[in-house]
Amino acid sequence: MNGDGTAAPEDAAGLRRRGFLRGAALGAGAIGAAAGGSAVLAGASASAASPSPTTPAAPRVSQAAPFHGAHQAGITREVQNACVTLSFDVTAADRRELTELMHTLTERARFLATGGTPPAVGITDSPSDSGTLGPQVPSDGLSVTVGVGASLFDGRFGLADRKPLRLSQMPAFPDDDLRPEWCHGDLSVQLSAPHTDTVLHALRDIARHTRGGMQVRWRMDGFSSPSRPTGTPRNHLGFKDGTSQPDVADPAVARKLLWVGSGGAEPAWTAGGSYQVVRLIRMLVEFWDRVSITEQERMFGRNRDTGAPLDGDHEFDQPNYSADPMGDVIPLDSHMRMANPRTAQTAESRILRRAYNYDNGMDVNGNLDMGLVFVCYQQDLERQFEAVQKRLAGEPLVDYISPYGGGYFFVLPGVKDRTDWYGSTLLA
Amino acid sequence: MSAEPDPEAAAAAPAGGSSQPAADTGTGGEAADAPPGASPDGITGDGAAGSHAHAAPVEPSAARDADAEPDADSATDAGAAADAGSDPAADAQRGAAAAHTEPGAGADTDSTLADGARDDAPAARRGLRSRGVRAGAAAVVVAAVVAAAVVAAGHSGGTRHTAAAAAAADGLPHTTVDISPSACGRGWSAAAKPHPGTQVFDLHNSGASASEVYLEDPRTGRLYAEVEGLAPGAVRQMLVNLGSGTYAFECQQEDTDSVTGPSVEVPGHVAQGPSSLPVTVHDLIPPTLAYQKWIQSRMADLTSATGKLRADIDRGDLAAARRDWLTGHLVYERMGAAYDTFGDADGMINGTAPLGGDPAKADGFTGFHRIEYGLWHGESAVSLRGQAKTLDDAARKLRSTWKTQQMDPANMGLRAHEIVENTLQFELTGRTDYGSGTNLATALANIDGSREILAELEPLLKPRDSGLARLEASMARARTYTASFDHGGRWTPLDKLTRAQRERLDADFGDLLEQLAPVAAIFDVRRTV
Repeated sequence: MNGDGTAAPEDAAGLRRRGFLRGAALGAGAIGAAAGGSAVLAGASASAASPSPTTPAAPRVSQAAPFHGAHQAGITREVQNACVTLSFDVTAADRRELTELMHTLTERARFLATGGTPPAVGITDSPSDSGTLGPQVPSDGLSVTVGVGASLFDGRFGLADRKPLRLSQMPAFPDDDLRPEWCHGDLSVQLSAPHTDTVLHALRDIARHTRGGMQVRWRMDGFSSPSRPTGTPRNHLGFKDGTSQPDVADPAVARKLLWVGSGGAEPAWTAGGSYQVVRLIRMLVEFWDRVSITEQERMFGRNRDTGAPLDGDHEFDQPNYSADPMGDVIPLDSHMRMANPRTAQTAESRILRRAYNYDNGMDVNGNLDMGLVFVCYQQDLERQFEAVQKRLAGEPLVDYISPYGGGYFFVLPGVKDRTDWYGSTLLA
Repeated sequence: MSAEPDPEAAAAAPAGGSSQPAADTGTGGEAADAPPGASPDGITGDGAAGSHAHAAPVEPSAARDADAEPDADSATDAGAAADAGSDPAADAQRGAAAAHTEPGAGADTDSTLADGARDDAPAARRGLRSRGVRAGAAAVVVAAVVAAAVVAAGHSGGTRHTAAAAAAADGLPHTTVDISPSACGRGWSAAAKPHPGTQVFDLHNSGASASEVYLEDPRTGRLYAEVEGLAPGAVRQMLVNLGSGTYAFECQQEDTDSVTGPSVEVPGHVAQGPSSLPVTVHDLIPPTLAYQKWIQSRMADLTSATGKLRADIDRGDLAAARRDWLTGHLVYERMGAAYDTFGDADGMINGTAPLGGDPAKADGFTGFHRIEYGLWHGESAVSLRGQAKTLDDAARKLRSTWKTQQMDPANMGLRAHEIVENTLQFELTGRTDYGSGTNLATALANIDGSREILAELEPLLKPRDSGLARLEASMARARTYTASFDHGGRWTPLDKLTRAQRERLDADFGDLLEQLAPVAAIFDVRRTV
């Protein structure tokens, strides 16, 4: 698992201060009290980049990321409080219907992410909006992130020769226990916002407008916790998750690690997109709770309370592996160290993580069904996610987690303007 | 009533009934005997019909009894004649009788459901909405109840004093418009600089009683927006997206002739928003009668099938019984728009057993699904004889009583939609499978049932539903795909569908339902004069 804060190295020079707390003040406004702590949204990556986590962070306004742009906004955006991750299978009959579907999806996403007054339909139809956000739909910082899976490039839509170079069906890794009903899909859609009602409103709206063209294959609702007490949000294992991230606000870093560019071996239409990995990872929390704290911390390589590396004092301290070649302090098989040895050779394999916790009721044996919707973005699946995953094979943590679902997707280039639409370069 | 009535008080008005004549149902005929101008399309303008209407605001069953002819067949014939539009009196009778079933339902829209669910154990599974007729003479009877309820609901979000202020917060242009017989539409005129785009009319009812409000094109009669049951003194918002064109407000105060306000030109070249011609009860009577006739014919198929099933079981031929069971069940499943008119018979013929118990022991569990359970769970022919007789008897009784039943025209559009909602809810979930694995056959029968109503409604739908072609394509697609699971009378059970098949089926039905929703909205019956 790459769930904790280790997959990406960050040299001190690369750290830059960005906002940490999203959505605390505003938008929240009147409902802030009701939303409680959840409105104070710690963007994992944002806080991750802070060199001084103990400094109280200035609350940052939750505002709509622009819907139009070269890239989809949801990729670099920090995690939000509420999130739904879905995979759809396309039921559209042919290329024309698929194109229509993508147009519809774009129109809905544009409206939902921008906000506005739902159109009046007079006496001709049931209301055009569910009304769950009131008569005016606020943007509320909603992100809609749309990707395509390898199966979309089978024979159905005549797209076989347009598949992104590195897109494939997600393989089963050595410690995986993949369940077919929770894997893969033609499309991925992730909806995230500061509030659950915003996310569910968007889901309902999109589903309503696209019923004939696509059907949900699997869905997992997730959330991001507030800082406890500071810094990066924690996962269900009690550890801060997402401490170290590449600084993709630096265009050079993003170009190297995140975006698929033009001019390479990739089909030209992919420029501006990014590969998305979704992993549904069950956490065996009861088992975990029966493990000593020393063992827990040695499995991660970090202090549970502070998130600091075991050789440091603060969350964002850098581990000094060269001073600990035998792993006396930070075990060689700790998650953090295996995922990212922080060497020059592994710098190229850093990934941008956007993980959410999930809570999915109970297992048949009476255990809590909790875990992580691990999501990461990268330029190259093999060079990045798969390289990290291979390094992690057999780590001690695998006894307490079980990856069972998810998939590989290619997040489409951004919708550039009002006339553009998801997949325009793919389907044009 | 004061100028600023308390919504709560308005809701309670029908009981008190002081200022709303319509609420005074105790005098029955008074309310029903509306001025000719208030009757839709002259239905109650006819003397005979008028006298009939006098007897109307009583128990629905009484209304039906009053309507029943000694010779049921001749009643049907009269219906057929009315179908051709040659017998306005018969039309009126039908319309009045049907409409008069509403007072109870109007006061409690769940009453039909409550009836259906009265038996604690097996019950008709369908939760059907009932739509109050808010048109014509009968509408006057129920209008107060309905209007008051709407008003109460409309005000749950805030008082009318703050409505305008709250509206300002929406960032949209607002125009206050007077709604009353004497000043209908005042406030919106050339002087108010009409403009296209999304905007809000704050409708203020300065009249003495509740009013329906429409924004229409006075030349075509197409409606662009409506607010129903605007209480006297109340302000409610009408959100519109205006294109360039001519508009006028129409104010329909209770017990008063409809008044059309001044025409207002919205300048420019902006495309107009969605609109439709209203549908009246009168419009719906011919298709309703035609549909009733169609059901009558299905009744013969039904009793023939239940008789055959009974004979199979009586002589111990369970293989034949399983085959004939499906035939009979599908006949019944095609009659979906009529179930609520069947009353308790629907539960007896097609009820289900509660979950969690042994269906074989469920108290009062009878009909197709009970027999299905037996036929597909190894029960002996002898043990099923009683059930076969019960079903056959119920079907025969239904057939004989159907001739005197009146379907409510106001529910026709609703049923076209709801039949398929029920398919999604009960068939495509397998809830109604008692062993035969024929939910997809039922789904197909349901589509055919919905299609039958749509065929009757098509002349009305064509000028009103811009999405009709898409609806028909969607229905054809769902129908064709569902039918593909019929392998010469053997149907693929739901649990044998592949994932891709299941997704496509769900997609087809989901899309079909989205296309059917406008039909129900358009056929919400409206008063036009």
